[in-house]
Amino acid sequence: MLKYSIRRLLGMIPMLILISIVVFSLAKLMPGDSLSGEIDPLNTNPEYIEEMREKLGYNDPLPVQYFNWITGFMQGDFGKSTKYKTPVAEVIMEKIPNTLFLGIMALVITYILAFLMGMYSGRKPYTIGDNAIAGINYIMLAIPSFVAAVFAIYFFAFQLNWFPFGGSVDIVVEEGTPEYWLSRLHHVLLPAIVLGAMSTASYTQFLRNDIIENSRKDYVRTARAKGTAISKIYNVHILRNSIIPLVTFLGFDFAALIGGAIITETIFTYPGIGQLFLDSVSSRDYPTLMALTMLLSFLTLAGNLLADLLYGIVDPRIRLD
Amino acid sequence: MKNKSLLVLFAMLLVVSAFLAACGGGGSNEASNESNTKENAAEGEPQKGGTLVYGIDAPPEGLFNAAFYGIATDAEVIALYDEALIEYNEKLEPIPNVASWETEDNKEFTFTFKEGVKWHNGEELTVNDWVFALETIANKDYDGPRYTNVQTIEGAEAFRNGEADSISGIEVISDYEIKITFDEARVNNLTNLWAYPLPESVLGDVPVAEMSASEWVRTTPIGIGPFKVDKIVPGESVEFSKNEEYWNGDVNLDKIILRVIDNTSVVGALQNGDVDMISLQPVTAPEVKPLENINITTYPGLTYYYVGFKLGKFDSEKQTITEELPKYQSKELRQAMMYAMNRQEWVDAFFFGYANVVNKPVPSAHWNAADDSELNTYEYDPEKAKQILDDAGYVDTNGDGFREDPNGDEFVVKFSHYATGNPTFESRAQAITQYWEAVGLKSELEMVEVNLYYEMVEKDDPAIETFFGGWGTGVDPDPSGLWKADQLWNYPRYNNPESDKLLDDALNIDIVGDDQEKRKELYVEWQKIVNEDLPMLYIAELEEIVALNKRVGGATYDVSGQNNPAEWYVTE
Repeated sequence: MLKYSIRRLLGMIPMLILISIVVFSLAKLMPGDSLSGEIDPLNTNPEYIEEMREKLGYNDPLPVQYFNWITGFMQGDFGKSTKYKTPVAEVIMEKIPNTLFLGIMALVITYILAFLMGMYSGRKPYTIGDNAIAGINYIMLAIPSFVAAVFAIYFFAFQLNWFPFGGSVDIVVEEGTPEYWLSRLHHVLLPAIVLGAMSTASYTQFLRNDIIENSRKDYVRTARAKGTAISKIYNVHILRNSIIPLVTFLGFDFAALIGGAIITETIFTYPGIGQLFLDSVSSRDYPTLMALTMLLSFLTLAGNLLADLLYGIVDPRIRLD
Repeated sequence: MKNKSLLVLFAMLLVVSAFLAACGGGGSNEASNESNTKENAAEGEPQKGGTLVYGIDAPPEGLFNAAFYGIATDAEVIALYDEALIEYNEKLEPIPNVASWETEDNKEFTFTFKEGVKWHNGEELTVNDWVFALETIANKDYDGPRYTNVQTIEGAEAFRNGEADSISGIEVISDYEIKITFDEARVNNLTNLWAYPLPESVLGDVPVAEMSASEWVRTTPIGIGPFKVDKIVPGESVEFSKNEEYWNGDVNLDKIILRVIDNTSVVGALQNGDVDMISLQPVTAPEVKPLENINITTYPGLTYYYVGFKLGKFDSEKQTITEELPKYQSKELRQAMMYAMNRQEWVDAFFFGYANVVNKPVPSAHWNAADDSELNTYEYDPEKAKQILDDAGYVDTNGDGFREDPNGDEFVVKFSHYATGNPTFESRAQAITQYWEAVGLKSELEMVEVNLYYEMVEKDDPAIETFFGGWGTGVDPDPSGLWKADQLWNYPRYNNPESDKLLDDALNIDIVGDDQEKRKELYVEWQKIVNEDLPMLYIAELEEIVALNKRVGGATYDVSGQNNPAEWYVTE
């Protein structure tokens, strides 16, 4: 497995180089640059904009710009955000805790709901309950998350006053105290529910189908013949086998945790990576944009590797060498 | 298979989110500043104590210093804890704040600071903090956009190029007195001058290149204003507390909590009392109006919208207009297109009554704005538009229902508008083309992504013929930067020596001295010319809208913005 991992890791290098070229070209192909939004006679003048373009190297030939960027990148210097005027690494690190917190909460909610629903559906397929679960799941999947978020804020924050309508923490509580963490949890819950509950469909249906398939297999018949309790067969024997395909998702979850939720974060004014990513696109903040894209590409590759390795662990039949 | 569907899902998510975010962004670009003074109606005497929640609808970038910030939301945050040495009254005339000044020739100014003004860290403000600010901005490592406000000081250029160790035009007389000499006498030297000090006691040791990233700008900024910054949660909220040592009277409130509120939540948050004070987009105002606990205040803004014509091409190397484009040279054509537009109807439909029709490129709140009685107001008159077009030779010769140009060739007005994802942009642009079609001018609309749009407009791309645009103006009412023939931002490439001369004369100290009336006469003269020539069709100027909870008192607004936050109070 070590050999396999090393091979895969080495294989990622040309992939990442290609990705970096694509990311860079796409970023530069976007019309305008980080200064075209600054045309404002109140604050500045054309000479300043020209001077900054020169300073930021926007007037250099593209290959030179690419080379400057990638050399810095390889040495861990992601550049300075043109919008926030601080090193990109700092900007990203500032947002990551928020995004991770929201992502993990949402994932936990998704897993819990999907397991409950998937196990029920798999055990009682083609019943009213199963169909209702499938129906609900697909409706949730179809509802755009901005609609869900706005409705959730309206009902749970403004009408019922159960949750705050935005932000990641109440600013008046002292940092580090138990109230601080409670406040953070309180703030993250509503967006996490919106995110988590809306994306259960794929997990639920995957689990359901796998349980149905497994329940027809020989080992289940054997277990039944031995007189093992039905609930034990489902909750232990079948479930263990049915989780294996879900490992595929893990690779995606891995990147999604950091990638954040663009819309939900914006509507809940929850400062995270998703919001940052979108901002960096609309303000042409190339250093941030490219660093984030590279980060997410890397995480997706790493996530896939992780998923493949986990396959081998959860299912000994799969050999990796 | 599954991977693919996930990808598709992700792509869709991305598209929808980009759309949404653009809506938000586009909206906030629309906003700007206003001026109709109205006292907010919280009853009774100012009360001491209490907390006010101040909302902003876009996250700040976190550059909390006047010398470094780039966007309006950061400026809103700064306005709560810092103030300028010189302020502006409701006519946008400079008035002394911490500093008062004397000058005889508009070239040499002597400024006197009030004594005993303290920074939030307890250090006393002296003229050295101002010198520090000016030298920081003039430093070649400075990465903000304010050098234009220092450039005119004598010796600033030499300092910037490293030829001098200090700016020769700055002479410190004592801790409270300073003399500043400009490179030449101008009537607007004072309004153009950078008027925020920078705390040398904390930033003095920081290299200029690293200042904008330093904690004194990002997380623990200090100022001289009525509130101090206690805590910042990046991207979402800021906590301010009363500055007990404020130099200019008592501060009523104990605390201000500033928080970012997404546009979708503004109405609910106002209704529930979760926010006490927030600027509104025109589109939100009709929803907020019926709320019983909220007062809406408006004040005149300094932003106007126009439809420009590309009349020439600009060479940015030579700084001149090098070529004349023939298509829209006919003044009659432009006037007819103006008469054809029902601007009042358009403004009511797309700005919900929070904007006014304008007939000149100067916001009415400026002291140099010409009165409508002196201008042609181009009342909506499609019959007159048709008459003018007929007389000018734009008639339908081939019977297709649309007019041809005087040579008998097909004539199509090509109109461009920027697209941000805000769905009202396309309909408002469409509405304009329909007005023109109604008088027989065939019109085509093209929506262009906003970043690309301004690049095309600036570079005189042949695809841009008539274009929608907006300008915000500052306290200095001089429009030279947007109108003279040698200016890059004169987007229509309007080239009229007579107009340029009037603009120069109005700034020429030998002609106008410091007589504001005389300047106004020249500016009015100039507005008459551009009102007649119409290198752009002036459409509307915006009003600023503020929603205030009824428990808030003491907040007043005029064209220069909000009053001193020290005067705000809340009643329970």
